[in-house]
Amino acid sequence: MPNTPVMDGLIRRTVQRHLPWSVHVDLTYRCNERCIHCYLDHEDHGEMKTQEIKNVLEQLAQTGTLFLTFSGGEIFLRADLFELLEFARSLHFDISLKTNALLIDSERARKLRDLRVRKIQISIYSAEPEVHDAITKVRGSLERTLAAIRFLQAEGLQVKIACPLMKQNLTAYRNVQALAAELGVPYVLDMTITPKMDGDMSLLQLRSSTTELLPILQDASLNPRACSPNSLEAETISTGGATGSATSSGIESQAYEDIPCSAGHNSCYISPYGDVFPCVQMPVATGNLRKQTFEDIWFRSEEMNRVRAVRESQLPLCSKCSIRQYCERCPGLAQMEGGDLLGAYERACELAELNARIAGVANPVSAMHAEKSNSKNTCSIPVPTVVPEVRMGSN
Amino acid sequence: MSGEITRNPKLAWREVDGAMVIISPEDSQVHELNETASLFWKHAEGKTLDELVERISAEYEVARETARADLEELLAALGEKQLMFVAPEGKG
Repeated sequence: MPNTPVMDGLIRRTVQRHLPWSVHVDLTYRCNERCIHCYLDHEDHGEMKTQEIKNVLEQLAQTGTLFLTFSGGEIFLRADLFELLEFARSLHFDISLKTNALLIDSERARKLRDLRVRKIQISIYSAEPEVHDAITKVRGSLERTLAAIRFLQAEGLQVKIACPLMKQNLTAYRNVQALAAELGVPYVLDMTITPKMDGDMSLLQLRSSTTELLPILQDASLNPRACSPNSLEAETISTGGATGSATSSGIESQAYEDIPCSAGHNSCYISPYGDVFPCVQMPVATGNLRKQTFEDIWFRSEEMNRVRAVRESQLPLCSKCSIRQYCERCPGLAQMEGGDLLGAYERACELAELNARIAGVANPVSAMHAEKSNSKNTCSIPVPTVVPEVRMGSN
Repeated sequence: MSGEITRNPKLAWREVDGAMVIISPEDSQVHELNETASLFWKHAEGKTLDELVERISAEYEVARETARADLEELLAALGEKQLMFVAPEGKG
């Protein structure tokens, strides 16, 4: 990964000083698409009002936030979006947006340029309308989204395509790749399908199996792209090549060393209702901005400090895993899927084994699977005198 | 150079642990200023070079010529990276 010295140095210092320099704010959960894999409840349960969000932004600026991401839901459903953007720019934030772009026309694209929005990430599920529209459940959505991308490009704005992959569009990554090349924009393939925020696991059935993912992970065309020195894009695009998580609120880098990720260290997530979480994918409630100040939550919340104290080298099971280097364990998903922030979870172990196999490791077995296998084998032998050796690949 | 010194309004920036970190939205280029340049970034906005020379030479007891040469060098370096510039007179 082509990390830059400037960014690595900044990441280390912001982590050491617990500076929340990257914050993801969902302005609304309302949406004009109904994507089949979406984890949100689209009803409005009392979004923060304009002045409340402005107050939050002032607090973030004072606490040291530089990178601000506005997302949702669909942010263009907020009538005050441009007012909030203007206010955020007056506080000198670096602004990125995540949107389906359905409501972006040439006039709005021009306004975004005038406000110096740095990057706009837009989800595209396939270059084929029938596939994309079947996922968004909005007929004509691909056509409208592509038109919006061209409006944004005409204004010189940086667009990035995010393509969440699931069973319904697994083979679409090739045509999304070609579409991105045709448009001249970067893209990220996101293999993360998460449970709903209320804990409903039904969405996980949309996930492709690791066997189905194998051809993608082996595809040589998904290599890391070349980046210029000190370009921020080096940090946001290159991790794991063109694949990665489109929902991560932090800036990824090897500089995080022994901590699992940026969540709670130098980044966090704020919901439309003012709830603060270490990350959008980590449902650990740390406080609410309608009742507490951001500084109080960020620096003094017990839960935030609990997340902050986690070290990869001290994870009970994963620290002993022989294929740890191939694992992209997400602590938030460990909490959501395995019920333990410090634990292993099935999907990460499966993907680690797949990645290790692709890298040439013979019969890779994660620590969790080895433990399960040991436990099973131990139970099947009435009076074991020797712990049975794990036979790689036998399960 | 008697116009007002101005930060490039396109930029995003924040003081991070004592140093000014600046990002250009057009190319995502990240700049981190050293201590002197960070101070200049914070305090030079809206002032003329002449005003800064007077202030620096008074506060730090350095000759005006020395202060001017140092500030011009710093401003040139920031200008080269399109971070700060001197607004044309009358448009300050």
